Amino acid sequence: MSADRTTDQDRAVFWYGCNMTRHGELIRNSARLLEAVGVAAEPAGGPAYCCGSAKESSAQIAGGMGERTVEAFNATGTPQVITWCPSCHMNTQDIMAPVTAPEFTTQHLSEVLHARRGRLAPMLRQRIGLRVLVHKHQGFNARVPVNDIVPELLRMIPGLEVLEHDLRIPGHMCSALVGVPGAILATQSDQLAAITESGADAVVTIFHSCHREMASLERGRTLKVFNWVHLLAQAIGWDAADDYKTWRNASDPRAEIGQARIEAAGEVAFERLTEPELRRPATI
Amino acid sequence: MSDPQQTASHRTGRNRPGQATAAFLRGEALRMAGLCTECGNCLRACPMRRLAPAAQDVDARTVLSGVRALLRGEVANTASLSWVAACSRSAQCHGVCPVEGLDPAFMMRVAKMRAMGALGDRPQITVQEDSQFSPRVKAFARLTLSSSEQEDWL
Repeated sequence: MSADRTTDQDRAVFWYGCNMTRHGELIRNSARLLEAVGVAAEPAGGPAYCCGSAKESSAQIAGGMGERTVEAFNATGTPQVITWCPSCHMNTQDIMAPVTAPEFTTQHLSEVLHARRGRLAPMLRQRIGLRVLVHKHQGFNARVPVNDIVPELLRMIPGLEVLEHDLRIPGHMCSALVGVPGAILATQSDQLAAITESGADAVVTIFHSCHREMASLERGRTLKVFNWVHLLAQAIGWDAADDYKTWRNASDPRAEIGQARIEAAGEVAFERLTEPELRRPATI
Repeated sequence: MSDPQQTASHRTGRNRPGQATAAFLRGEALRMAGLCTECGNCLRACPMRRLAPAAQDVDARTVLSGVRALLRGEVANTASLSWVAACSRSAQCHGVCPVEGLDPAFMMRVAKMRAMGALGDRPQITVQEDSQFSPRVKAFARLTLSSSEQEDWL
């Protein structure tokens, strides 16, 4: 596209949130997808761009994080921020924007890709012969209709059959259920039943925390777990290797990752902060 | 886009980070406590009530009176605390509230924050936040992002 035709809608910050750092390939491929449909979006996330929802037991701490993040985005002069995380998206609307005026509009990644799906469709040439069921939550869909948008995007992939089921999991994503005793077990049981009833080969997560919780469903089953961005990237022919899922399901995550990579990341940090999560037993 | 003149930062003045947010939430909590009529439509629509043991078989007015107490910074009853703690932002309450200007999903979120002691009150429910949240996010980034991606994207 020539420079004189570039509009504000063609440049953005891709705000991937905090916990997405477990899934580098999702950040990378989301930015590539945006670029492919004509949006130059520099990724930004991690603790420096936190919405504060991870620290809600202190309004002062959470608020300080949210205020700083809006100010940081304002300082970039970006006309739009494209979100990944539903917590960040809702926090922006509910708490951050009323406190610190944003000088940008906010849209979810799925909305942007869906609005430009005419550009995306011709790139999806690699056939993926799977019958998939999308893992759908109730909460965020009232803000952004992801439960319709994401299946519509996936249906553009040759060979992919996107099945329907009435199941809608409570919460806005799985992380909201983790602290409620029995909730993750109950919802994963419901999800497995829905997969069986629909005859799906694979379940497709929309959000990162769901992917984190559900990656281990592959253990001992023929079922596959993907994120919707993995499938779009794979259909274009990009590298969509899901390291987190591989590590999570490895009998020895340390061996799977390899000592050189662990040393580069920091042995102590790996041992204390990441290894216990990777070795956590499957919920079901 | 919000009018900067109407934001809480401008209304309260910003002396310390987070102060404006705390003031905003305190104001919203009191506003919503005043609006809620305790009709119970939100409770009946909630898919998480089944996972809130103390809120089973308790009348809606009792549960909602406790939610309003939380919003005012007061001690809440056990049924209310059980329900608030189970709130996972399903938003099924959103369309059933008859009160104009009241979003029950946001009301529950703010009530949960107050129950955790977010506005300086004594915590009434268990706080389950990850004390190593930021270090953990960075530790994973060092495993999954290249050096240049970490430099540019974090």
